Amino acid sequence: MSNIKIKSKNLNVYYGDKQALFDVNLDLNEKEVTALIGPSGCGKSTFIRCINRMNDVIDICKVTGNIEMDGMNINDKDLDVVSLRERVGMVFQKPNPFPKSIYDNISYGPKIHGKGETKSELDQIVENSLKKSALWEEVKDRLDEPGTSLSGGQQQRLCIARAISVNPEVILMDEPCSALDPIATAKIEELIDELKKTYTIVIVTHSMAQAVRVSQKTGFFHLGKLIEVGKTEKIFKNPDNKMTQDYITGRFG
Amino acid sequence: MNIVLIFLITIFSVSLFFYGKSKTKTISIKDNIKLNALPKFYGYYLVLWCSIPALVFLLVWSLFEPVIIKSIIIETAANQGAIFSDKNEANLIYEKIKAIHLGTYFGDIDSILRESALAYAKFINLFTNSKVVLIFGIIIASVIYSLKKIKNNNKARDDVEVILKGLLFVSSLIAILTTLGIIFSLLFESIKFFSVINIFDYLFGTNWSPQRAFVRDASSITAAEFEELKDAFGFIPLIAGTSFIAFIAMLVAVPIGLFSGIYMAEYASIKVRRISKPIIEILAGIPTVVYGFFAALTVGPFFRQVGENLGLTVSSESALAAGLIMGIMIIPYVSSLSDDVINSVPQSLRDGSYAVGATKSETIKQVVIPAALPGIIGSVLLAVSRAIGETMIVVMAAGLAANLTINPLESTTTITTQIVMILVGDQEFDSPKTQSAFALGLTLFIATLILNYIAQRAVKKYREKYD
Repeated sequence: MSNIKIKSKNLNVYYGDKQALFDVNLDLNEKEVTALIGPSGCGKSTFIRCINRMNDVIDICKVTGNIEMDGMNINDKDLDVVSLRERVGMVFQKPNPFPKSIYDNISYGPKIHGKGETKSELDQIVENSLKKSALWEEVKDRLDEPGTSLSGGQQQRLCIARAISVNPEVILMDEPCSALDPIATAKIEELIDELKKTYTIVIVTHSMAQAVRVSQKTGFFHLGKLIEVGKTEKIFKNPDNKMTQDYITGRFG
Repeated sequence: MNIVLIFLITIFSVSLFFYGKSKTKTISIKDNIKLNALPKFYGYYLVLWCSIPALVFLLVWSLFEPVIIKSIIIETAANQGAIFSDKNEANLIYEKIKAIHLGTYFGDIDSILRESALAYAKFINLFTNSKVVLIFGIIIASVIYSLKKIKNNNKARDDVEVILKGLLFVSSLIAILTTLGIIFSLLFESIKFFSVINIFDYLFGTNWSPQRAFVRDASSITAAEFEELKDAFGFIPLIAGTSFIAFIAMLVAVPIGLFSGIYMAEYASIKVRRISKPIIEILAGIPTVVYGFFAALTVGPFFRQVGENLGLTVSSESALAAGLIMGIMIIPYVSSLSDDVINSVPQSLRDGSYAVGATKSETIKQVVIPAALPGIIGSVLLAVSRAIGETMIVVMAAGLAANLTINPLESTTTITTQIVMILVGDQEFDSPKTQSAFALGLTLFIATLILNYIAQRAVKKYREKYD
């Protein structure tokens, strides 16, 4: 049994009057991939956005309850969001490279956090991040080309490289393959397998097959509630809850 | 007479609409057939057939009637023994005849004029009567034709579509032709100007004093006069003044407009946005002449006062006052355009930046603005072309002297101001002075056209990237 990295207790999220999450209690293990599944609008994305406080961007969003990382309360008002996000990186549904060169896309984060003071240090960070995201061989000769000139799958790996460039502990992935073709998806999944040796990963996915392939632990959300959570094998072979059973066999959702 | 005719045609068309509608309904019920179009389309069909041929005929007739009558009358007058040596005198006699007919002529009337006036009255009468007869003939013919079509249950829907398409086409044609007309009138007058003044003397001369060419017929210019005129039309001081004032205006408008655009797009809450955006846009609705007298009566004297207190000589009409006010006028353009552009930067880019730990201002500076840059440049260029074309503020606040100066406290002048100065009051249209206004207009037109083109390209390029 590995250590618990992130622990949520009675987490509630409201968008204005509408409650999006109800008393979610979910533990995420260190250096493991946790998959969150469930029908659209069930709160999976809302949950992972609580982990790096991305919900702060939305004015009407209110979060109550506890969410801790290594014993530190993430939901604390006085918490420095910048250093939190340095520790918790995120990859989004659609690849969103900045309109900058490939190099600048990756050096952006380290520069903001004052890492890589000299050019050679920065070069090293960029190279390492690209190697870790398995993109280095494809782009090493054209680092000054715009990030948007890459293919969709490459762009998404660039975004993963951008997320790991600041050396986070946790990486959140919000349906990272939903805009990609099967080959690009396979590459990203391979990459996730590799990354979990170093990072704690949470992945939101609509593809049950993907959850089975990449994750060790799976949580099933429905209508803002965490219905069931457990080892991926168990959830998909022998779930306790009838609703989980129905969802994974495709009876709804 | 024409108004009455148009009125009658309209009334007739409207009643035909209802007639056609009910007629086809009865046909379909009585003969139990399926109509090829909705009854109202048969109504439209009748309306269009009744009005368009008649109106087109009326238009063409009204265009040619005066020309034909004039040539006939001048010929009759000549036959009567009237003597005129050239076109202008013929025109004068024609105008006299017309005035006699209308009873507004108070000079001596000799027999030739009287006879011609009678002939004129006769022709006017004849033409009017035949016009009315012909128009009603056309209406009757086209209505009979279209009624017959309706009875045969034609595809009125398609026919109406074709006619409407034609109408829309004609409207856009008129818009385009008008623009071309303006360009050509600028071009031809400018060519006349450049036949007197060498184009290089114009483009590179540093002295602008067109009053030297006052009332001088271009065709009868002597060599000595030509030499004198050579350096009266130097364009450099004007373009320098224009650019200088536009530059001052941009110094004011770009930072303030851009920053307020950023605030509106990124920081302002929905409530603040809803209130303050219209307020900024009100600035764009103030007539420029109001800005002009604000600049001339308030800001200019204020600067002079301040300058005096500081021991500086400030002209009460200064480039600074004009540029400053022009800048204020342009703020809303820059602000609302850059607001739009920044708003259309996808949220996902901001999220990506926040997710690596960037703060809001870092995100704006390093991700949002670079992403929006082409659009922002486009909006600034549009603002520049407005600044260059702006007239009223500079006429009132910047002065008229074509100084070649870079001192913002002195008065200077712009292309548009000079065009106004040249064309107000009585003008001799053959004088190079007047024609120089067209040359200035053409230059200004080309300059703003190029700026607009570049701006549009920039904005378009930006759109393609994120749509």
